[in-house]
Amino acid sequence: MGMVEEVTLKPNYEKLCSKILNSDEHIRFTGFVNDKSKILHSKQKDNLDPLLSDHEIAMSIHYTLERWRKAQNFTFRLGKERLTFTEYDHVTLVTIPFKGTLLLVSTEPRINYDPIVEKINSILTDWEKI
Amino acid sequence: MENGTISYTQLLREDLGIFRVTPDDKVPDFKAGQFLTLGLPLDSKIVNRAYSITSSPQNKSFFEFVIRWVRRPLPGRLTSLLFNAKEGDKISWAKPAGNLTINDTLPNGEKDNRRIVCIGGGTGLAPFVSFAQHLHDTNDKREIVVLHGASYVDELSYKDLLTGLENESIDRGKDKWNFTYRAAISRPDEWTNRSWIGHKGRIEQFLRPTDSGKSALEELVGEKITKENTIFYVCGWQGTIDGVMDYLTNKNFVTEKNKREDGSFEVKFESYG
Repeated sequence: MGMVEEVTLKPNYEKLCSKILNSDEHIRFTGFVNDKSKILHSKQKDNLDPLLSDHEIAMSIHYTLERWRKAQNFTFRLGKERLTFTEYDHVTLVTIPFKGTLLLVSTEPRINYDPIVEKINSILTDWEKI
Repeated sequence: MENGTISYTQLLREDLGIFRVTPDDKVPDFKAGQFLTLGLPLDSKIVNRAYSITSSPQNKSFFEFVIRWVRRPLPGRLTSLLFNAKEGDKISWAKPAGNLTINDTLPNGEKDNRRIVCIGGGTGLAPFVSFAQHLHDTNDKREIVVLHGASYVDELSYKDLLTGLENESIDRGKDKWNFTYRAAISRPDEWTNRSWIGHKGRIEQFLRPTDSGKSALEELVGEKITKENTIFYVCGWQGTIDGVMDYLTNKNFVTEKNKREDGSFEVKFESYG
């Protein structure tokens, strides 16, 4: 008998970010952040004026994670969080928990979000094939 | 159970608070480091839970506690009631108990004058806040080091009190009051902790030898830590206890639960998870 090697697949966050970013023209930014606020990978559309400074991005990620952590306090009653939207005047932020990380996506505001979410979920479901 | 009143509440964070309970009768004698069982009514029953006392046994006005509201996987019943309670609400309590108390004598009957090092993870700091105030109030001359580990700076409950005790030590002189307080933040890269310049990492890393061959604790106290000169008290999650023991076992330190035939030991601990 040969040796059995256990292989634990980890998501390729770089490829996932590229695929999600390119899946819809309205997506501005995509990134994965772990529960310690570490950005595992991120990618944004070229030639976009950033809406936040680096310091404000760190603050925004902190607020997003704080909200995510607190939302988990209701898991025992409501089940797992699947998706959040925050629509500002200038941008819409979407978060989707994914394998212990949080996927952050920003899109143009006031668009039809359903097709975007459908595309993202399809990519996340097939993450092992990427 | 005895009766009392929740006389003071202070939220440090949404899920971390300081609570005081004033007995209807009086605060009984207890030892620093002990816990108190509190009780509140829920569905016509009394729900009980034990919490470490942070106040000094010399404080005869109230019991004080620092309590974390853990809600995952399920919120604790009594802690949820406490975080929804108001000042003035009635509460019941049972007499203080617990063995994480200060060792005052050696097995040979001599006074235990070893340095006291307290390592608390999260709300595991609680018994050592009581230790520090008690040793201060009783004019104890032993050297005391309190090390507190937390994930975030806003979890450093009692930073003000403990810093004050250290400043007093500097002002009065270590021959009169010998107290040192240090904290470690385990998630220094998070935004909340952006201004933290203190020790970074898990609290037990104070015991890890550095390139100099000395640990951060040894650098702090200025000499090699041995089982003859130091006794450790540890309180926190089991992971914190195990982390501390990983370092101390190598130095042949033994716990009170596994004390030697002659009754000697150098570590007392209590885990809450």
